[in-house]
Amino acid sequence: MQLLKQTRQYQSELAGYCRTGILQQIPGIHTGNVVQYRKLVMNVVDDILQNAYPLTYDLLTGAEWDALVAKFFAGHSCKSPQVWYMPKELIGYMVDTDHALLKQYPMLLNLLQFEWLETEMFMMQDIPVPLTRNGDLLFSKLVLNPEHRLMVLEYPVHRKKPSDIRPEDQQAYYLAAHRDEEGQVVFTELSPALLRAVEHLQERAISIQELYQLIEQDFGIQLTETDHLAIIQFIQQAYAEELIKGFAPVT
Amino acid sequence: MVGIGYRKDFSEEFLNSDIISPSFIEVAPENWLGVGGYWKKQFQKALERYPLFTHGLSLSIGSPDELDFQFLANVKAFLKETGAELYSEHLSYAKCDNAHLYDLLPIPFTEDAVKHVAERIRKVQDFLEQKIAIEIVSYYTPVAPEITEIDFINTILQEADCELLLDVNNVYVNAFNHKYDARQFIEQLDLDRVRYIHMAGHEQVSDSLIIDTHGEAIIVPVYDLLEYTLELLGRDVPVLLERDFNIPEMEALQAEIRKLSNIKETVLKRTAHAVA
Ligand SMILES: [Fe+2]
Repeated sequence: MQLLKQTRQYQSELAGYCRTGILQQIPGIHTGNVVQYRKLVMNVVDDILQNAYPLTYDLLTGAEWDALVAKFFAGHSCKSPQVWYMPKELIGYMVDTDHALLKQYPMLLNLLQFEWLETEMFMMQDIPVPLTRNGDLLFSKLVLNPEHRLMVLEYPVHRKKPSDIRPEDQQAYYLAAHRDEEGQVVFTELSPALLRAVEHLQERAISIQELYQLIEQDFGIQLTETDHLAIIQFIQQAYAEELIKGFAPVT
Repeated sequence: MVGIGYRKDFSEEFLNSDIISPSFIEVAPENWLGVGGYWKKQFQKALERYPLFTHGLSLSIGSPDELDFQFLANVKAFLKETGAELYSEHLSYAKCDNAHLYDLLPIPFTEDAVKHVAERIRKVQDFLEQKIAIEIVSYYTPVAPEITEIDFINTILQEADCELLLDVNNVYVNAFNHKYDARQFIEQLDLDRVRYIHMAGHEQVSDSLIIDTHGEAIIVPVYDLLEYTLELLGRDVPVLLERDFNIPEMEALQAEIRKLSNIKETVLKRTAHAVA
């Protein structure tokens, strides 16, 4: 290490100023101009966070948002070298610090997770999967789109404007998010039985007939004709929207 | 060769029209690393048409923190995958106390910082198995300076044995903000090391301060400074038009590209004659 302690300290003080706005005595510093760095840094951070969390930004008051951003950037050491990925760290920061806003707005954590999921899925790396387009929805083994995530929410942030959500809305909501061929992120709300169906499809390619059996085992029930129809309908829609991408190639 | 910084903001228009015709594009690896889906497809299309130059943001070569070799490994893979012709970075720091700042902070102009930065550039070059080009950044305040800026830069270039990315607009901005002569500054640089040139617009916010915004058109004195620089160089160096904000119509960007090409051609002809 060639760097002197002194130099290191000045660098740390300048970086610290950008994060906190508190300026130490640094020799030679132009006190009029150094404010530009604080401004530039905070503009970038605020901008990136607003873009990642537009609904959260709308929900919070201006003062709440500003204080959140300022405290986050001052108190949390951002780990990601890629600025587009940085907003994810806000969620971790708020959970770790037990942030007061999470109590004030009970649906806020879900809202942040939901908003981030959309960004992350839009940006995530492509995942190739062997499949064929030739098959039959009713009989062939179905291949799930590997570019998907499952999510459990306590509040219906996917359906309602956050400010319209009431305490009585609290229950479990199951959501699948996937990316289609165009690159768009599509959300699908799932019943508990359909959630299980997707979870089975996560493990391997399965036909609808096998799915009926697995769901019956999972829930210890006998599926009716109506249930079968509901599952078929779901599979058809999932195929049309590319949550199910195709069929297992016959080997 | 005159290239342009390829941005998501204008990617659609850029790829779907012939209005703009750069010789190459430049991206920050950080903005495209590990990205799939829609943007990967767009990027792929751009790569099929144009050679790629890269200009990193987060390496933080001047940081007191350890180098992030995991990140560098990702960059190395990205350079290989995209067949990038060049990797450049900033002579600044963007990470400190283990926290990324997402901006470029000025390194103190000191002897120890010279040694420190030069050693790190060498390590990066060894790791990447290629030379990198380091860019002189615009800065708004010196930080505990002990030596001159020009000595700081030239010694680093020499000790690191790396290339120089000469951002002509940055030199113009710095000369204005710190009250020195831009031409004299460029004359004193180790010009043999210039591998790549950047050109951009800026915004003058007061009598004594210009901010390097990349959000305006290039101004005439910066074109003049480019002409002067190219005359001193007397050889062909790729030039990049940087436009990051306040993106105008494609026609306006193409007009800037054309102007840069014209300047290059004129100077090259002139210097070729002078040599002959
Ligand atoms: Fe530049």
